[in-house]
Amino acid sequence: MHRLRFHGRGGQGARVASKVLGTAAFLDGYYAQDFPLYGAERRGAPVAASTRISEEPIMERGVIPAPDIVIVMDETLLQDPLTNPVSGLKQGGIVLINTAHSPTEAKAEYKITAQVITLDITKIGLDMLGMPILSTLAGGVAARIVGLSEDSLTDAVKKVLSEITTDRRLLAKNVAAALYCFNAITPIETKIEIEIETSDTIEKKSSKVISLPFEPAEVSSPAINATGNTPLRMTGNWRVFRPAWNYDSCTRCMICVARCPDGCILVNEDGFPYTDYDNCKGCLICVEECPTNSLGKVREVHAKKVIGK
Amino acid sequence: MTKGKIVGLEGSFAVAEAVRMANTDVIAAYPITPQTHIVERLSEMVADGDLDANFICVESEHSAMSACVGASAAGARVFTCSAGQGLELMHEVLYIPSSMRLPVVAVAANRALSAPLSVWCDHSDVMALRDISWIQMFAENNQQAFDLTTCAYRIAEDKEVLFPTMVHIDGFYLSHVIEDMVLPEEEVVAGFIPDYEHPFVLDPDKPVSMGCYGPPFIYPETKKAQDVAFDNTRPKIQAIWDEFGEIFGRHYVPVESYKMDGARIALLTMGSCSETAMLAVDELREAGVDVGLIRLRLWRPFPFTELREAVKDLDLLVVLDRAISFGMGGPVCSELKSALYNKREDLKIVGFIGGLGGRDIPISDFKYMVTQAQEKVKAIERGEEVETEIIGVREGGGR
Repeated sequence: MHRLRFHGRGGQGARVASKVLGTAAFLDGYYAQDFPLYGAERRGAPVAASTRISEEPIMERGVIPAPDIVIVMDETLLQDPLTNPVSGLKQGGIVLINTAHSPTEAKAEYKITAQVITLDITKIGLDMLGMPILSTLAGGVAARIVGLSEDSLTDAVKKVLSEITTDRRLLAKNVAAALYCFNAITPIETKIEIEIETSDTIEKKSSKVISLPFEPAEVSSPAINATGNTPLRMTGNWRVFRPAWNYDSCTRCMICVARCPDGCILVNEDGFPYTDYDNCKGCLICVEECPTNSLGKVREVHAKKVIGK
Repeated sequence: MTKGKIVGLEGSFAVAEAVRMANTDVIAAYPITPQTHIVERLSEMVADGDLDANFICVESEHSAMSACVGASAAGARVFTCSAGQGLELMHEVLYIPSSMRLPVVAVAANRALSAPLSVWCDHSDVMALRDISWIQMFAENNQQAFDLTTCAYRIAEDKEVLFPTMVHIDGFYLSHVIEDMVLPEEEVVAGFIPDYEHPFVLDPDKPVSMGCYGPPFIYPETKKAQDVAFDNTRPKIQAIWDEFGEIFGRHYVPVESYKMDGARIALLTMGSCSETAMLAVDELREAGVDVGLIRLRLWRPFPFTELREAVKDLDLLVVLDRAISFGMGGPVCSELKSALYNKREDLKIVGFIGGLGGRDIPISDFKYMVTQAQEKVKAIERGEEVETEIIGVREGGGR
């Protein structure tokens, strides 16, 4: 059985990627199961999806705790300790990372010991679809890694997207982009020695969950008494694009300040607005709203480097 | 026997297909995670003209069930669905269709209850609905979600039943999972669910009163009648499942068993985790443990006879609850003890609670339960107090 886990952010298409892969596997004659898991239904929030592909009926359910293959659709998630996309990845497994890094760079940057394939899927998405929605593209690379056919991938993309959109040109673009990604990578084999983790000794393993501080059962309540950590969760690493300022034409009209949905545009001592890049999610409403076109957009390549100053 | 078409379908869409094929007249529902996809799909079907139904957009679950009650009283075939907090908001009205014998069909995508807020699966919402006098059953995969929803119409609308019927599918684990299943041909389903005719429909030409005032001189009689009628639905439910089995080739019984031949120990589960439990049973059997699996398919009316039959050769029953009855332990475990008391005093029953708020229950947890339960039996025999253990929970302390 192939066990894959997709990690992305809300709006990027991790759910649909898993659905495309599952559908393609089904069309290739396999049993397939696709299980998405998300919490807060908002753009940018971490989303995971699990896909199981097997020649036998699939009995296990839920999140895949020990995948053979992990698809990381947003490389900033690799620095998010709450998500930790490679957790549980089996020895000899494969990680595909959407990044402009080479595999060697990515392995060093994110301290990954597993086999790494890299592809700048965001760039392909922007070039071929005109937007950073990567569902069918990530589905395409995953289909290649598990060895599915091009025909089934094509049919799966058509089937899944026709449930979402009636735009035939967008559909055709997605088919092309998925196939491009399918052929853009050199697939490698997983080198997993044990198929299913089984242990002779029946032992209790504590589930790996995020480490929120909590009090002993005798004194705790349904409230989680952690100190408010929202200010610590800098959301600036969600950006695909960063708003860039041209102060020569800025008239200090403050429309951008009023329009920013996250209160991320502040005003400096000289009365000019500026972006709080630690928290700006790159929605680009400010770029859209600026009457003097004083705001442009620059693609974030390695988000980490632009956080803060 | 009909074969149908093998498709890869999301659990929510499988339910929506069943509702469409049943030619439902009225749908009144309010979206809530993880049930949303069912409502979305149904509203799409109605908008596209694939289902000729009135889709009533309500402003809350309380209104959804109220609209269902009215529509059903007027003789319509009615569907709704909800989950977690939504079922709780609907709660007050859930008692009405059952007391008025209105065959509303509902699907619940089981979800935990706040606080803390959780959209993920457990059975806290189910356990709050134990006494609503609805026929309730559990699906373990998407095929069963479709099959049981199809059967729910027949069961609810049977003139010897006339009770609302609810199918439980585990939120996310089934509602959001896409997996292979057989979708039967529409005509065959239509043949299985004939047009519905309510025996005492609201009709100005033949006036009836429904849900009117029940002073003390009549209220207990109505409740006894309801209880007797509800108890009497058991053979009819089985008969309809049997008929379904003959046509569609998939057979359902109130208490399902797996590898129970020669078993001295059994795990008992409900819902989607049952298939994982089967894998645990396989591994334990290979290791030489005489263990089997019992799954409760029918939750209400409770299948006393079938349960007693299933446990007759057992020494130990290990029950998994996905909810807490605070101050009482696991609700399913309590009910099983009550169902078996005076019948099997030598049978040891050990309860565990797990899978709360979407926490996964891996194979290792089921194996742990079986091993640990045997230790607990020794403690019980030494006369020690054995508490219900909540599995997979980290011990607190330190901030």
